[in-house]
Amino acid sequence: MGVSDYIWMGIQAVFQGPEAFSILGLSISITIVMVLAGFMLGIVVGATPGLAGPMAMAISLPILISAFGFSPDALLPVMGFLIGVMKGATVGGAVPAILFNTPGTPDAYMTTLDGYPMTQAGQARKALKIAHFSSASGDTFSDVVLILCAPFLAVLVERYLDLPEKTALLILSMAFIASVIGGSVGKGIISMGLGLLAAYIGTGEDFYPRLSMGTQSLAQGFPVATAVLGVLVLGEVFKSLEDLWHHVRADDRPTEPRQSGDQRLHWADIRRISPYIARSAVIGTVIGALPGIGSTLAATLGYSAGARRHARKYPDRVKFGHGAPEGIAATEAANSSVSGANLIPVLSLGIPGNAAAVFLILATESIGGFNPGPSVFKFTREAINPELVAAFGLFTTMMVANAFNWTIGGAIMRAAGVMVRVPKHILLPIVLMLTLTAIYVQETRMQGIWFAIGFGVLGYLMRRVGMSPLPFVIAFILGGKLEETARQAFAATGGDAWFLFTSPMAALFMGLAVLFVAFSLRRPTEAEK
Amino acid sequence: MQPQKPATRANLYLALGSIALALVVALVWARYDSGSGLILKVRRQVSIGDALAPTIAAAMIGLGGVMVLLQRHAAEQPGLSLANLRFLTRFLVLCAVSFALMRWTGPAVVAAINLFGEGDLSYRLLRDTAPWKYIGFAAGGTLLITVLIADIEGRLTARSVIIAVLAIAALIALYDLPFDDLQLPPNGDV
Repeated sequence: MGVSDYIWMGIQAVFQGPEAFSILGLSISITIVMVLAGFMLGIVVGATPGLAGPMAMAISLPILISAFGFSPDALLPVMGFLIGVMKGATVGGAVPAILFNTPGTPDAYMTTLDGYPMTQAGQARKALKIAHFSSASGDTFSDVVLILCAPFLAVLVERYLDLPEKTALLILSMAFIASVIGGSVGKGIISMGLGLLAAYIGTGEDFYPRLSMGTQSLAQGFPVATAVLGVLVLGEVFKSLEDLWHHVRADDRPTEPRQSGDQRLHWADIRRISPYIARSAVIGTVIGALPGIGSTLAATLGYSAGARRHARKYPDRVKFGHGAPEGIAATEAANSSVSGANLIPVLSLGIPGNAAAVFLILATESIGGFNPGPSVFKFTREAINPELVAAFGLFTTMMVANAFNWTIGGAIMRAAGVMVRVPKHILLPIVLMLTLTAIYVQETRMQGIWFAIGFGVLGYLMRRVGMSPLPFVIAFILGGKLEETARQAFAATGGDAWFLFTSPMAALFMGLAVLFVAFSLRRPTEAEK
Repeated sequence: MQPQKPATRANLYLALGSIALALVVALVWARYDSGSGLILKVRRQVSIGDALAPTIAAAMIGLGGVMVLLQRHAAEQPGLSLANLRFLTRFLVLCAVSFALMRWTGPAVVAAINLFGEGDLSYRLLRDTAPWKYIGFAAGGTLLITVLIADIEGRLTARSVIIAVLAIAALIALYDLPFDDLQLPPNGDV
């Protein structure tokens, strides 16, 4: 089995999988249908202020698993749907930002700066087309980098890193995430420590489930979905509900200014925005490949880099922040190019870098048969490695989603503008109930709902004290893997207490972990910015 | 938007709380509530014990606490206000009432029918049958959604009740009607 055989089998797994229906004798696979459904849902969710892609992914997961089961055939349709949601939400976030000056997702904030002035000037449709073109370009570029880099990086990790180095790499990733997310490295480390602590409750190798206080409830540990949905989704819903409650809702129904003039996207426009897209796509891809750094920072950096270039080269054109199409292009290309690159650490190292990646890992864990990490990319020659076929199948679903984005994404995006009119104070209680129901159908016990509420309260408190919940979630997911790798490394080195420092590579990773934390201590805190 | 400015000593309280939690976990909880200590020696074979990982987690929490302590004089620290705690309490009480209604409405209706009628019904046997399986979910869910909408709007309207009923119907259609293997709350417990 050569590399090209695996690629071909991955493509076939997507296009020749179980049939959904046929058109004129042409079989349409269920995976393609699910990618399209996820992509459309993602755009609608992204276009709705108060909702986010990871929320939709979390709520869809139990339904998808019930519909497709736990068989190997379930992996590509389920993952295809989730990837579609992830990509659609990134595109959809620009819609309310441009039409109503309200970013649908946090990373679309910079889009409002130029998108809304264009709408006020009667150029809303053109602004949406620019956002769509830039977003699809950035996303496609990022996916190509993912497809080229992830297998290469995974092979390097498997070839050169032994157990102590892998342990040190996990510690380095977690230290990096804790350091870069949020305004305070101290709070990031507390969040990470809490995530590790929660992961270790009710687990361990001894007959007695540790930290269970002798109770049956804690002895089973916390289910991953409950903890993740609680901290990430419920925590955000609680905070938003309170913000709405304090801000007794004024009648701020958005209005759309009258549109006029040429709304088409011409080749001249594409040539004009292309350098900004290219630069931002590279920035977003590099940022996305680093675990923990989100698309909001990528959008900010892409916008700033674009603004500097624009001011230097074209001082006579419309300035950034005043309705410059280049501003929309720079932002949308940067935030969209994060999504593909974010899967580089997931697929090559098994380390989730953002909330969407967390739910992709959760899906693979629920279905089974595919464990993201370096072992996926074993190019076995004699027997077929089904995980590698699935990996190339996933890459194919990403490209299919991109094809949908290029062809029909723009039209769906323009139609999704209506979602901004859904009142948030009605939407959030329904999302709360939807999330609780999603948790219950997986856990089938009220205790699971109470655990989720508990984690939701923790997520709420974290947000209120300025602590990011993402290090908690990532540490919770990686905690078990970290302990298992450390136990194996300790045993393999004959009980050497310094096993993390004896090999040069492991020592380098540990040194970098300390350096990241130390360096982050020197940057301004959230209060000093 | 927050009605009250959070305490400016939020970082100090967070740091002290984190350090205290770290000490309790490392010195008491992990030490006395694990099946093995930090290091395990069995027949001259040394391995990592169950208490080590939670102790390291506690060390992380403590280290983070010390770092936050260094930032205790920062201006405009985000923190909790009394209004936040009041909201949280009210919200948790609403959840408790809604979940209790969800859990007990079905069995209560069955008990009432048994009391006033001739029947000898058991909710446990009926929990997979419509409309019994929807009674608790509909009662608790409708209350939760209605009260949250009414709370934010500042008044209870028929519109909020209708929205809640429609939302619950949509959830039933989404999670229950297409799947035989999924159970709506509270039917897995009763």
